[in-house]
Amino acid sequence: MKKDIKKGKITMTITIGIACFCLVLVMFMQFKIVNETDITSIENMKEAELRTELANWKSKYEEADQAYQETQAKIQEYKETKQSNEETEKVVNSELEQINLSLGTTDVEGQGIEIIVRDSEDVEKIKASDLLLIVNSLKLSGAEAISINDNRIINTSDIVDIGNEFIKVNGERILAPYFIKAIGDPAYLESGLIGNGGYVDTMRKIGQDVTINKSNKLKISKYNNEIKTKYIQ
Amino acid sequence: MIFIAILIGCILGALIGMNAPMISYTYSSYLAIAIIAALDSVFGGITSVINKNFDLKIFATGFFGNAILAILLTILGQKLNVDIYLAAIVVFVGRMFVNLAIIRRHYVDKWSETINKKRSIEKKEQ
Repeated sequence: MKKDIKKGKITMTITIGIACFCLVLVMFMQFKIVNETDITSIENMKEAELRTELANWKSKYEEADQAYQETQAKIQEYKETKQSNEETEKVVNSELEQINLSLGTTDVEGQGIEIIVRDSEDVEKIKASDLLLIVNSLKLSGAEAISINDNRIINTSDIVDIGNEFIKVNGERILAPYFIKAIGDPAYLESGLIGNGGYVDTMRKIGQDVTINKSNKLKISKYNNEIKTKYIQ
Repeated sequence: MIFIAILIGCILGALIGMNAPMISYTYSSYLAIAIIAALDSVFGGITSVINKNFDLKIFATGFFGNAILAILLTILGQKLNVDIYLAAIVVFVGRMFVNLAIIRRHYVDKWSETINKKRSIEKKEQ
């Protein structure tokens, strides 16, 4: 009986000792963990928390990256449009220049010929039709710009007789001598007037005083009046 | 003898626990719930000693079984995304308070009894 009691007591003592040991051990481990977690919170964070944090940052990064890409694409687009705009501007500008040149709204310069027609005393006076024919043949020979007494001939220019006294060009009165300037290939222009059946030849045969000067640098001033359009839509 | 065993166990546990390697914070919640379960068992044991129906087998199995069960429940709760450990804490701590109340009442009764005895003795002497 005594031995049994002793044995039971020993086992009880050992068991309780082990239990105490385990309890205190685990408690102190826990204390330690809790104590040190504050200092190194990130290192000991729960894996799940870290994972969610990581996922958050990843999605944030992806968003930022996407925004960056979009902005980049936009910038690229703007650049391209800018470039194409510049190109268009260039093209439009050169076209505008060309059109202005041919329209006659700018002073132009180039090689060409100058025809001086003077009234002779014993022959008929120079008429608008004479000038018109000369201008016409100049156009035929490829004249790019024509003026009569510094009145630029444009597409709506008129050359008309007013009575028998004088000639009107672009609505302005002009008097002899008539200086007709034309820019173009001088040789072509001259041959158009003098060559076979040229009008200047005809005039000279009648006895009119026509001189032709070739020039390497001819200046033709611009059309002085406004070009108005009212009915063109 | 039992007190010596308790003392030795506590000292050893404290020493080893202080020098034990760090455990990841991930597992600290399991350890905490195991500690609560073990403490509950300890108070239950003390109560049963007072009630004179202490059984070593019940104490030992309850001590370790409760701790392990609490840990398993916490793991399950994390897997299910339900905070089961809260329920475990409520149960264990509630029982701890009940046991504490029993212990307190027992000792208060004992104390008042001794005082009454002393008084009655004094009265008799008078």
